[in-house]
Amino acid sequence: MDEPVISLRDVGICFSKNRKRRRSLRDLVLHGSPAPKVGEFWPFRHVNLDIQRGEAIGVVGRNGQGKSTLLSLIAGVLLPDEGTVTVREGVAPLIAITGGFEGELSARENIYLVSQLHGMTRAEIDEEFDEIVEFSEVGEFLDTPFKHFSSGMKVRLAFSVVSRLREPILLIDEVLAVGDKAFRNKCYARIENILEGGDTTLFLVSHSAAHLSRFCTRGIYLLDGQIRADGPIHDVIRQYEIDTDTLEEDLADSDL
Amino acid sequence: MTRASMSGRIGGFTTDPSHVGPIVRARRVWDYRRILWVLVKGDLKVRYSDSVLGYLWTVLEPLLMSLVFWFIFTKLFIRGDPRFTDPYIVFLLSGQLPWYWFNAAISGSTKSLLGEAQMVRSTNVPRELWVLRTILAKGAEFVFSLPVLIAFILFYRPHINIEILYWPVAFFLEWLLLVGFGLMLASVTVLVRDVDRIVRIILRVLFYGSPVLYSINQGRIEKVAWLYTVNPIAGILDLFRVGIFPLEMDRNRVIVASVETVFIFVIGIFVFARLERQILKEI
Repeated sequence: MDEPVISLRDVGICFSKNRKRRRSLRDLVLHGSPAPKVGEFWPFRHVNLDIQRGEAIGVVGRNGQGKSTLLSLIAGVLLPDEGTVTVREGVAPLIAITGGFEGELSARENIYLVSQLHGMTRAEIDEEFDEIVEFSEVGEFLDTPFKHFSSGMKVRLAFSVVSRLREPILLIDEVLAVGDKAFRNKCYARIENILEGGDTTLFLVSHSAAHLSRFCTRGIYLLDGQIRADGPIHDVIRQYEIDTDTLEEDLADSDL
Repeated sequence: MTRASMSGRIGGFTTDPSHVGPIVRARRVWDYRRILWVLVKGDLKVRYSDSVLGYLWTVLEPLLMSLVFWFIFTKLFIRGDPRFTDPYIVFLLSGQLPWYWFNAAISGSTKSLLGEAQMVRSTNVPRELWVLRTILAKGAEFVFSLPVLIAFILFYRPHINIEILYWPVAFFLEWLLLVGFGLMLASVTVLVRDVDRIVRIILRVLFYGSPVLYSINQGRIEKVAWLYTVNPIAGILDLFRVGIFPLEMDRNRVIVASVETVFIFVIGIFVFARLERQILKEI
């Protein structure tokens, strides 16, 4: 087997529960993080994971079980406190999708800025420009500042740009919940299109079993900051549903 | 491993501790130099296309401030021995312009990570880039403002000696100093928000505490000359001015300033690397 394109080795990340905790500058500088406090919690700990090129992975789990943290770690926008994350190819993150867009700049300038931030050259963008604009359906507002866009338009433009980045790893975090149905369908078609080549590695976080089984072959189920299940997507979804149902029954019992 | 082979694209990273030393970080910044350039160009574009006077502001602001100080210290107050500072407007501008860069770059980079929080949270470019782009954009404005100084030099025609060649060295030293301070302040400000306010006050004190408006070679100041040795800006200003005001130059002060500058540069890189993990969580 090839070297995995993404690998996590004994990865853990620690947040502080207490927002208002007092920080010691001296500790920060000397140890890189404040001395351990009582209020810390680990949304994610002792996690090992290997992903091969071209795998399509669906991530499931209830809210607050570390799904977004996992994607942020792979995108490199969070760094682990324990263990090692290694990602061997470029990542197109569709997390907080409109984040990389500058409100003051026009749609046109943003297309160039964001694409260049992800390493595309001007010539490459020129080539894709018309298609990006057509896909986003914001053609008449190309010279309007991004901050004046409606949230739907922002997401449309952002998806059009980020999905054209030609990066070999694609991370999608429930962004497709936004936008109208017609545009959503276009996005799904676009993702299928990208996956067809078989070279793109996909991470999809979703609560929709239908979407997960449409795009993904392998499933990862996160619970309490651990990988509860890792296997064929259908088995993982089933396991997740069984667990959630039991949980709901438990909750119902405790209510009585 | 950090470079993808396809068309020189960059991608991939590892958080393996043996792979994140200062040299790896520097190389990563170098790999992203094209993107850094895009960001700097974007900043300058916003600066020069969004206001009516555009480029004129770059020249007008230091010019007007220097004229005010020139009026105060040649007409209202006695300036001390004019041998050291004549022509005074040239003396002023040759200190004001580098100071403007320092001032703008420090206050800009203090907010550079917080101000781009969304960007920092969503793109995996080396985080140093957000600080460097501010320092470089302000540095470009500094260079663009030099015609004012050159105009006054052509007008007064002071004697210029060969040591004017130290000018690029001074520019480089100031850049190093700014990168060191900028990295430190940008990262610390994310974790302790009020640093921003403290920096603003310190900058104001530092303006009067550095020989921008006055020469150090004045009786009253000589007693506290050691203060100017501690302040690296003094030595850097000496080096900027030595081509026209050779009496301002103090070799020891410049050497100490250079050592301090390199020291602060190294500390800045170290602090930034140490705090990065925490910054990403807090931002």
